[in-house]
Amino acid sequence: MVPIETVRMRFTGRFAPDSFAAFANRRAERLDLGLALETGNPSLFDVTVSGQPDLIDAFEMACSLGPMDCLVLDCERATLHSGYMENRNR
Amino acid sequence: MTFIQGWHPVALSVSIEPGSSAGTHIGGQELVVWRDNSGVAHVWEDRCPHRGMKLSFGFVRGDHIACLYHGWQYDIAGQCRYVPAHPNLEVPATIKVPVFRTVEAAGMIWTSADADAGSPAAAGTADETVPVRSLYVDCDADELIAALKADLPAPFKGKSTATIAQLGDDLFRVATGDDTLLLGLQRLEDERAALHIVIAGPAASYAGAGQAHFLAWATALRGRLEQPAMTWPAHQAEAV
Repeated sequence: MVPIETVRMRFTGRFAPDSFAAFANRRAERLDLGLALETGNPSLFDVTVSGQPDLIDAFEMACSLGPMDCLVLDCERATLHSGYMENRNR
Repeated sequence: MTFIQGWHPVALSVSIEPGSSAGTHIGGQELVVWRDNSGVAHVWEDRCPHRGMKLSFGFVRGDHIACLYHGWQYDIAGQCRYVPAHPNLEVPATIKVPVFRTVEAAGMIWTSADADAGSPAAAGTADETVPVRSLYVDCDADELIAALKADLPAPFKGKSTATIAQLGDDLFRVATGDDTLLLGLQRLEDERAALHIVIAGPAASYAGAGQAHFLAWATALRGRLEQPAMTWPAHQAEAV
């Protein structure tokens, strides 16, 4: 069994929305995370991300660095769900 | 050039020892060539998916290669299997290094990004080979081949004049006297190429003196290619 979480993150800062959305999607894909982009504008991004907690942390770190044309000043996160699931890699 | 179709040599087999890795290029594409501890050679994209570090700087551990930067370990399929900072993580299948087909033939390591490529032309060309050297030259591949054709080696054994035949896109055979050389052409970048040179024949006949004979020829070939063209300054040319 593998631990999983669903986490809501609010990134605030200065964004090129298309650039940040594409960046977040690529990172989520690489980390095998589920991602829903809920709000995106030049000052704020709300996302919901689900998967292994360590990989969610990695996603937060990657998005906090972000693409070159965005500046993330803060990230607030709230855990919406935590539990376990079967390991799909086995 | 593109690294899509066909087979391309990337190293002499003897150059990549078990448990070691080396970086190289084909057409500007960065590659890591590594050999696991059981002796199987691998050619991959030379980039860790984590932070982009070259895997050729990493360490071979059994049948895994570990990135120098954060120690992420990849199995022979390129799949990440272990992240030291998160030892309990079930690494997802999405964290994977692109791997290329790899074959050893004629004493060289060949790779292809083409899943439909048949066997490399080098397959079956020699039962035994004796390595000479990998010759890295600062010129483009066409210039290197033109120089090779103009400056074929004298024989180590026998007397007949040297001839050259192209066996594949990147494979040449030189017959000189009683000797046969196989040369794999690696197109590194626009102005850089390499020839991986082996003697087709048994070590009993060529190890030592035979290798030294062709090594001297290869080194002289590179010297002539890289030597700046002799030009006279304008005022001296007029005086002459």
